[in-house]
Amino acid sequence: MTTDDARRPSFWRRFLGFAREIWGVMRRPSAIFSLGVLVLSGFVAGIIFWGGFNTALELTNTEAFCVSCHEMRDNVFQELKTTVHYTNRSGVRARCPDCHVPHNWTDKIARKMQASKEVWGKIFGTINTREKFLDHRLILAEHEWARMKANDSLECRNCHSAESMDITRQSPRAAEAHQRFLFTGEKTCIDCHKGIAHHLPDMSNVPGWQ
Amino acid sequence: MGRKRIDRREFLKMEAAAMAATVGGMPAPVAAQNLVTDRSVTALKWSKAPCRFCGTGCGVMVATKDGRVVATHGDTKAEVNRGLNCVKGYFLSKIMYGEDRLTRPLLRKKNGKYDKSGEFSEVSWDEAFDVMAEQFKRALARRGPSGVGMFGSGQWTIWEGYAANKLFKAGFRSNNIDPNARHCMASAVMGFMRTFGMDEPMGCYDDFEAADAFVLWGSNMAEMHPILWTRLTDRRLSAPHVRVAVLSTFEHRSFDLADISIVFTPQSDLALLNAIANHIITTNRVNKDFVNKHTLFKRGQTNIGYGLRPEHELEKRATGRAKAGDATDITFEDYAKFVSEYTFENASRISGVPVNQIRELAELYADPKTKVMSLWTMGFNQHTRGVWCNNLIYNIHLLTGKIAEPGNSPFSLTGQPSACGTAREVGTFSHRLPADMLVANKSHRDKAEHIWKLPEGTISPQPGYHAVLQNRMLRDGKLNAYWVQVNNNIQAGANTNEEGYPGYRNPENFIVVSEAYPTVTAQAADLVLPTAMWVEKEGSYGNAERRTHFWHQLVNAPGEARSDLWQVMEFSKRFKIEEVWPADLIAKKPEYKGKTLFDVLYRNGQVDKFPVSEMAPDFDNQESKAFGFYVQKGLFEEYAEFGRGHGHDLAPFDTYHEVRGLRWPVVNGKETLWRYREGLDPYVRAGKGVDFYGFPDGKARIFALPYEAAAESPDATYPYWLVTGRVLEHWHSGSMTRRVPELYRAFPEAVCFIHPDDAAKLGMRRGDAVKVESRRGHIISRLETRGRDRMPRGVVFVPWFDESQLINKVTLDATDPISLQTDFKKCAVRLGRA
Amino acid sequence: MTSKLRLTIAAALMAAFSTVALAQSFSALRGSTPLNEETTPPPLTPEMNTSVREPRSYPEQPPVIPHSIEGYEVSRRANKCLSCHARTRIQESQAPMISVTHFFDRDGQTLASVSPRRYFCTECHVPQHNVRPPVENDFVDIDTLLKVKGPDSGARR
Repeated sequence: MTTDDARRPSFWRRFLGFAREIWGVMRRPSAIFSLGVLVLSGFVAGIIFWGGFNTALELTNTEAFCVSCHEMRDNVFQELKTTVHYTNRSGVRARCPDCHVPHNWTDKIARKMQASKEVWGKIFGTINTREKFLDHRLILAEHEWARMKANDSLECRNCHSAESMDITRQSPRAAEAHQRFLFTGEKTCIDCHKGIAHHLPDMSNVPGWQ
Repeated sequence: MGRKRIDRREFLKMEAAAMAATVGGMPAPVAAQNLVTDRSVTALKWSKAPCRFCGTGCGVMVATKDGRVVATHGDTKAEVNRGLNCVKGYFLSKIMYGEDRLTRPLLRKKNGKYDKSGEFSEVSWDEAFDVMAEQFKRALARRGPSGVGMFGSGQWTIWEGYAANKLFKAGFRSNNIDPNARHCMASAVMGFMRTFGMDEPMGCYDDFEAADAFVLWGSNMAEMHPILWTRLTDRRLSAPHVRVAVLSTFEHRSFDLADISIVFTPQSDLALLNAIANHIITTNRVNKDFVNKHTLFKRGQTNIGYGLRPEHELEKRATGRAKAGDATDITFEDYAKFVSEYTFENASRISGVPVNQIRELAELYADPKTKVMSLWTMGFNQHTRGVWCNNLIYNIHLLTGKIAEPGNSPFSLTGQPSACGTAREVGTFSHRLPADMLVANKSHRDKAEHIWKLPEGTISPQPGYHAVLQNRMLRDGKLNAYWVQVNNNIQAGANTNEEGYPGYRNPENFIVVSEAYPTVTAQAADLVLPTAMWVEKEGSYGNAERRTHFWHQLVNAPGEARSDLWQVMEFSKRFKIEEVWPADLIAKKPEYKGKTLFDVLYRNGQVDKFPVSEMAPDFDNQESKAFGFYVQKGLFEEYAEFGRGHGHDLAPFDTYHEVRGLRWPVVNGKETLWRYREGLDPYVRAGKGVDFYGFPDGKARIFALPYEAAAESPDATYPYWLVTGRVLEHWHSGSMTRRVPELYRAFPEAVCFIHPDDAAKLGMRRGDAVKVESRRGHIISRLETRGRDRMPRGVVFVPWFDESQLINKVTLDATDPISLQTDFKKCAVRLGRA
Repeated sequence: MTSKLRLTIAAALMAAFSTVALAQSFSALRGSTPLNEETTPPPLTPEMNTSVREPRSYPEQPPVIPHSIEGYEVSRRANKCLSCHARTRIQESQAPMISVTHFFDRDGQTLASVSPRRYFCTECHVPQHNVRPPVENDFVDIDTLLKVKGPDSGARR
């Protein structure tokens, strides 16, 4: 610590000097490169930047990224493994982002900005034990239910569209419910299908549950 | 197997005929409209009985009509279950009607004669008993009393166990009689005897409504004791302050209610128990007054081995093997020092349980304001240190004084309907006599001989072969005539591949199996005796809370099936006293000369004391009719003499037919709910407050016992722990429940529960045929990564109800060296594609 | 005894036993597999999912569940069954309401809500797999018994 403290003034001086120098270069018109080169290189840099951003963003949209945190790996991911969204008849598997990250760009960015709060939670260990996770489970679940309710269960419908549903292939119970509630628009997927991929929180105050 | 009776298909035909008659304009006699309303026709005869399955001891009402059971439901007047049954209990009506009931004796024969390698053919009871008596006499002549043996059951009625115990210990003078309760309750028994000097719980089921916290140690009550689980659930959900802690080696249905869910490494419960005791001491929450007045401290023998065959490497290294049950006196300070090494951190390292969870659990016990009920079954008892586990849980309750009062209750649950009533109280274990007495104790033998009117020296002081040793002795050809009643040990006994099956099929041995259905044990036998079951006979069971309850015979058994009681007593007629007792013994009772064992044991002026006229007029009683006296009453009253006035008092016989069971000791007509507490238990000496009167000094023992490793743990070759057990829908080996269609379809075949990641690591998937293989044998099952059980990595669970997947070919016959009970919960296996 | 020696003895004994091997099929539950051999069990079957109610063998029998309940959570936190079968839910779900007995507490008092002693539905109600039990059951229900009631209808011998 003492060494760092001793070096700090000199570091700041050097940093300020460097910043001033850059600022000087930036505000001066180029005398060396043509406008075309500048525009082109700006374009290429933009692509690289955007590509990098997108790649980084997509990296956070993989299951591997999600379960790199033990909070996800030990709780919700374990629970997913015994459900139909993990293994099923046709082998079409839902990965974390399929349900939890919106697919269109603006919603995705909005969700990602929300996720900065989750990073905060990670750093401060809000749910770093099983007990803490269970304590927060209702709030966390309510966020997801609210989001899905608001977007008419969009992430469900990315795979399960009402138009593509052949209810003659469903059990009588499911066919009936889908006809009465889904096709009429009276309800959206998440209204009935809570707790299908993870354990449920305390449902005592959730409408439709006892 | 030729029988004549109305079966389902005939009924359907008759039903069709009745329908045709109605359609043809001829009204059927009783169905003039589409609802039968004639009271004389619709009235059913309802009678009480206990459930046939687990040790909970629920009361059921049984409806009979025209000699058949037509309905059952939970008895609202039964204190235990107040009208509820579990899914098995609700289907009791069907357990006797499997289409393959055995109705005639079956003997292996070739060319018209008994031959061990022959096929089964139907024979008369006379021929069956002739061959059987000849074989028993041959074995007695060859080896003396040690050549014959019997494997009985915690499903015997009280008088059946009592009559069989008498036939072997007094008649044949052989202590080679043991119940299957050895697989089930022996560790609990030895735990009670070591800590309290007296068997069975001090509390009762009323503790469920009084406790603030429940801790399940190795018990999946949600599946194994469903009705007690309803009482626990009722308490937890009705009173929100109540907490439930569930401990197991994998997550099962009981975890659905848990506030504290703990999955620990197999065998490490020993460390957790000591850590809790240490926490109570270090946080100064020992109830010093209670501990000083009512307890003593002992250090138990360690390194006691694993009950394997003596030549096994592990046994050679076990220095404390010979004195496994010994203990020396120590002080409280010695004890505190002993447990001080079990810090939360150490316990966490051994068990894999996070420190905060151990602390949370320990606080339930340490907090003086929380009334705790601890519950355990096979997780503790089927454990190579099972007696220790029982002792260690009592330590915790004794240190805090949380015992023998409503809600504070260490409670050992039982698995069989009469593990307590018959196996334990009647003393059908190879070392015991009725009312907690021991064959090794001269004064105990004297007392039994006195009550049984036997000459002094009749009963052998040498404990007989216990369950596991019986299989080894069969295998070694030293136990040559062997009778199995009410259990299915080829399916239930551990290591059947190396011990049980070769033992039964050893050409030197003659194996008799009394059974209602063609089980695998019956299949492995040489003679199969068709047996009446449940309400086909008058019976009596004793449940886990010391409750004795009776039922009447309600229907007749099919064909020539007869009760175990009739079989034992009728068989005893085939032995003249001179054929089984030495001359010097007979000389002490010359009046027995020329008599049969039946005369000496059952027509002794006591058992035959009550005439058939004392029987309830509305009920049949095949045995009493056959023998000419009220057999059940005579046997019960003679048996009750052992315990009356000694803390095991039973009410008069007739009382039990009136009530929904009573909890012993029944003194002055009043049952005892909590023992050892003044004001609640009439046996407590005045002014003592608490009196553990099982020991003359009135004190319970607190034991210093360490963590010791399991007999077999996973290694590179056999990398998985195998745990075996039951499921809700099937009871034990499934011989009854798998013949009920609804129960069969609820859980058709056994599966191998496994963590999905372990399956993936094996390159296998849900539903794949998997070979589960140990050093002893293998089975083929199907992988299950979903369903009711959630396994941790490295542990698999296979239930044992399925006779087409004999998982006990895989298990290890290691036992607790003190209780001699097998550990069915731990052995090492490897898994692979079948 | 060395393990090799033990193995040899075991092999010799097994050879001796082979003369008393049991080949005949004794019980349909085990099938024809000899006791000292093992066979591959049938494939796993799904839970029946017809929603068609099964008859009850007697009035007190808890109905079996005629649909799949795979993945349904019934725990301290949530009860999926009641989200359709509760009194307040049946209009929407059109599922049968739980029986009135489920509102009685241990003392027979009727509560405002489902009695907690009945909370875990699967203690009594179980789904059914699409399999045929190998052993049939000869239980006869009371209505059949009444219809065919004759002089010897009760005899089992």
